[in-house]
Formats: sequence, structure tokens, C-alpha cells
Amino acid sequence: MGEFKGAAGTGDLSISLSNDELHILINLVEQLLELLGERNFNHHYQSDDPFAQLMAASMGGFDSPISQPEDPVLRRLLPNAYSDVESADEFRKYTEPALRKLKQDHLFYLREQLVFPVDHELAKADIAVSDPTQWLIAINDLRLALAVRLNIDQNSFEKYELLPDSDLQKPLFAVYFWLGGIQEGLISHI
Amino acid sequence: MPAQKTLLQVVNSLPFWLDNWGMSTHTQVEEVLDLSKFFDHLWVTIVWDDPVNLMNYVTYVFIKLFGFSKEKAHELMMQVHNEGKAVVASGTREEMERAVQSLHEHGLWATLQREDHGRI
Repeated sequence: MGEFKGAAGTGDLSISLSNDELHILINLVEQLLELLGERNFNHHYQSDDPFAQLMAASMGGFDSPISQPEDPVLRRLLPNAYSDVESADEFRKYTEPALRKLKQDHLFYLREQLVFPVDHELAKADIAVSDPTQWLIAINDLRLALAVRLNIDQNSFEKYELLPDSDLQKPLFAVYFWLGGIQEGLISHI
Repeated sequence: MPAQKTLLQVVNSLPFWLDNWGMSTHTQVEEVLDLSKFFDHLWVTIVWDDPVNLMNYVTYVFIKLFGFSKEKAHELMMQVHNEGKAVVASGTREEMERAVQSLHEHGLWATLQREDHGRI
């Protein structure tokens, strides 16, 4: 499943997903959105209200450097831009809130596309991929997050095939490789 | 080390330009501006290999962000894959910071650093 029809250039690319597949994807998207939203200091930075910005600055928001997140998934999605920690933290102070926002926006977009057929209780859906780039980035972030949790390396596919069906991680591996297939499909249609 | 020699020559000729600053012609102003540009162009963006990003996705991102031809993007992607890293862009620090931020948005693992005569 997860097959594509049409071509992105023509504006009518669509992906066919079953109800189960939709639920799996929505669940992953929501988990990642929750994780990305955890460090909520950034609402100060995102505010357009000059007073809120001033308050954030006076509370040390703009002066205190931000160190790397503790969660390994966030470390992978929001990596250091410099090898030396001091420069990396300084850069992060100005850019991490924006990067989180971009990633959240891509995931919110994907979620919006996926929930429509679920809300309308369709057993199977052909979802129009109107913005393949947003799909690609969101799906890639989901793969990166899963890969960190599953300790994916170059030999993971062989390891996955040898896992017994009773292994609790086996379904997650299957989802990870399935997402890789969706991504390949998207790229080949762009 | 031809690059260093050139740099030294530029530095040695600096007082000459500075002396002329007050009465500089249009051409001399341009030369001074070019010089500052030369000093700024000492930063590079490096993309590091990881076991997750698909090869054709990395190629796609290089084309999208840097406007490379398909061949050039593929070549750089292979360099990342085989050597563990590749310099994908060079320019001012600000330009490289923007490039790294865009690469992070697309899920690639990238850093920037001062150029070190071709070595990383």
C-alpha cells in the first residue's frame, strides 16, 4: 500500500492509504509533534507582540544560550550547527525555535491531509499530494525519529528480516521501511 | 601554499589602500569592497553521512537548495556516502548559517566551519 498515482508536475499526484495506514501515520505525526513542542520557551520568540518580546528578553530569554536537547530524537532533528559547543549553543539560541516551527508546520500539514478521510470514516483513501515537498520533509523527519529509537544502521534491513514475529520492535521496523518506500515513491514522482 | 602567499600579498598591500581611502576613486572603493568579500568567503558547509537519509532524497535536497545539476548533486551525495562527508557550499558565515539551517530543515546532518585550505 502507499501507492502513488499521477505525477506531481500535473498537480494530481495522489497516494492510496488504507484506514490502518492512516491511523499509524497520524499516530506517528502526533507523537513527533508532541516531542517537538516540549520545550516551550520558544513561544516568546515566535510572538509578534513587541511587549512579549521585551518581556522574554528581560527574563533572560535572549541572553541565555540554549544547549542541545536531551532527547536523542531531538538531537537528530535539531542538530548542532557547529562542532564547538559554544558556537553551536549561540547559533541554536537564534535558530532552534524557527527550526522547530518549520518542522511542526510540515507535520501539521501532513496531519491535516491524513485526518480528513479518517474523520469521514472512509475505509480507504486516495489523498491528493498537493505539496510533495512538505510530504517529503515530514515523512523524512518521521523516519529520522524512528531510526533513532530503533538504532538503525546500514545493516538494519537484514537484522529486521531475521527478527522473530514475537519481537515487539518488529512492527516498528516494518513501519520504518514502509515509510522509506513512500519516500522513494514521492521522489520518483517529483 | 599558493593561497597563503596570495593572502600575504593582499595583507601587505593593505596600508596602500588605506592611505588612499580618503581620496579614493570609484575603482579603488570597489577594490576595497572586493577585499572584504575575499576575507568573508572563508566558511564552508559540510554534510555528514548518516544511515537513514535515502541517497536519492539527499540528491533531491542538494538540487533544491543549491541549484546543482543532477550530475553534480549525485556526485556530492556519493562523496558524502563514500567518504562520510562533503563540502557542499562555501561563502560568508551568514550564507553558510542559512544553508545549514535549510539542510537541518530537510533533515540532513550539516555543520559549518571556517575553511581550512581544503582540509576538514
